[in-house]
Amino acid sequence: MSRTKSPYPYWFILPAAVIFTVLFLVPTLASFWFSLTRWDLFSVEFIGIENYRQFFREPFLIQGLFNTVIYAVTTSAAKTVLGLLLAVLLTSGLWGQGFLRTVMFFPVLVSTIGVGITFTVLMHPTRGIINVALAAIGIHGPGWLTDPTLALYSVVLVDVWKGIGLATVIYIAGLASISPEYYEAARIDGATRTQLFFRVTVPLVKPATVTVVTLSLIGGLRSFDLIWAMTRGGPGFSSDVLASVIYKQYQAGFYGLSTAGNVILFALIAVIILPLTLWFNRKEVEL
Amino acid sequence: MARVVLENICKSFGSVDIMKGISLTVEDGEFCVFVGPSGCGKSTLLRMISGLETVSSGRILIDGEDVTYAEPSRRGIAMVFQSYALYPHLTVRENIGFGLSLARRPKAEIEERVGKIAETLQLSHLLDRKPKALSGGQRQRVAIGRAIIRDPKVFLFDEPLSNLDAALRSQMRVELTDLHAKLKATMIYVTHDQVEAMTMADKIVVLNGGRIEQVGAPMTLYNEPASPFVAGFIGSPKMNLYDGDAAAREGCMVYGIRPEHISLSATDGKWRGTVRHIERLGADLIAHLTVDGLGDLVARCPGDTPMVIGETLFASPVAGKEHKFERGAIG
Repeated sequence: MSRTKSPYPYWFILPAAVIFTVLFLVPTLASFWFSLTRWDLFSVEFIGIENYRQFFREPFLIQGLFNTVIYAVTTSAAKTVLGLLLAVLLTSGLWGQGFLRTVMFFPVLVSTIGVGITFTVLMHPTRGIINVALAAIGIHGPGWLTDPTLALYSVVLVDVWKGIGLATVIYIAGLASISPEYYEAARIDGATRTQLFFRVTVPLVKPATVTVVTLSLIGGLRSFDLIWAMTRGGPGFSSDVLASVIYKQYQAGFYGLSTAGNVILFALIAVIILPLTLWFNRKEVEL
Repeated sequence: MARVVLENICKSFGSVDIMKGISLTVEDGEFCVFVGPSGCGKSTLLRMISGLETVSSGRILIDGEDVTYAEPSRRGIAMVFQSYALYPHLTVRENIGFGLSLARRPKAEIEERVGKIAETLQLSHLLDRKPKALSGGQRQRVAIGRAIIRDPKVFLFDEPLSNLDAALRSQMRVELTDLHAKLKATMIYVTHDQVEAMTMADKIVVLNGGRIEQVGAPMTLYNEPASPFVAGFIGSPKMNLYDGDAAAREGCMVYGIRPEHISLSATDGKWRGTVRHIERLGADLIAHLTVDGLGDLVARCPGDTPMVIGETLFASPVAGKEHKFERGAIG
């Protein structure tokens, strides 16, 4: 006997579908259209791919694109590696590890702008406590945020400090899901501590790694608030990323250009994250 | 292969004593089964032999060498875990060869030894599969393969069949017994299932509350249990045990009679009872009776014995098969 499919269950999808369409799909498609125009609140003029041409002609915009990739990759790599090492440390039965886990997570709860302002003060070339402390032991501290070759990496450092707590918590949950029997079996087989880490922990904690890498990469590619609070993209354009460039173009009234920047950011995230997710999913282990 | 000697092994967690002076010898090539109820310490004892758990006091000797404080990998043991502990990201080939690859042995040697073991365990066609693509029995065999490849002096098994269904468990019991016969290795096997213990062991160690209740061959434990606990634990269905007035009438502290050592009659017998429940197992029939002055009594009869619930029957113990204990309590 054949059964006809009832449309009844689909009604339950409708509210979410409407919200998704209105708040995500329509603006995304609209931004594709507006990126091909020169527009303001009262007029729209179709100019084809001129905004994109201009975007890739401007050296500072291209630098912003490169900086975005550098920022996302370095913050993500640091959070992944350090997060895993800290999680291993904080699950090793260390004295006071419950307290240390709280301390580790605390920066995640603090406002990004607040962190940015605080570190701007701490990293001041002459009055900042970091350089004052370095001077006390005879080291001439660099201009953390004023040196164009260093500014982006100083923000990376602060981003890692602020975000590592979340990566650590995800890794702690991942480590907790690994059966101790895997380690015991490896110990009987004669595994050293290093081998236990690389041959057991790293492969088996992969689901957590996928989450940390994906979240931190997307976060890094979209990063704006910390950079804006600490350097505003400067000195010059040395620490500009796509999001800050888009913001600056928007402030300057180049709405079409900034919309094109948004589309480029969208495409960049999709081009990096989609294949990565597919690759991770294919390699994922079932514990 | 090797002899395992435990000398006065004690284990405490804080002020709680888990193992209380265990002394035992497992002979070279023997299949020794630790059996007992949950929490009796059998797995802890096995883990102390493996080195995964520390010993509070006492000595462990394997092949004459004191390994009490030796690293697990230095004891010449291999262990098969309850969950098999197969690495999900590795293939069967890589799982079996894991120990050798940790020791950085040449690839050709690993390949050759994995191939031989896979052939012995009928895993050759599965070598490139991941554990999730294997059945429970196949995973079990991979775990055994990983143990064999280390060429250990002693094999340790921690309830390895408990995750399998009844049919597969029965098949694996036979396979493990065959493997023991083939390898002639010393094997120590932990289970809470007395059927596994009875069918596989050369020697059974019954543990209770961190102490050894009795050590002996399966039929010795069955025929001559040293305590009511062993009497109740070994045998299925379990022995009928009585204390108080019922035991006093028989002249002992605890009186026991196995279900298969009771004869039932419709006309006369030692005890008069009413059939309360009947379990028909095909070849056998298990009758649950309520007996005057005794309480519940379980009897095993041939499967074709005519019987109905509510019927009055007379039960008598088979001469010479009664067990009278002067000490101990019903567990």
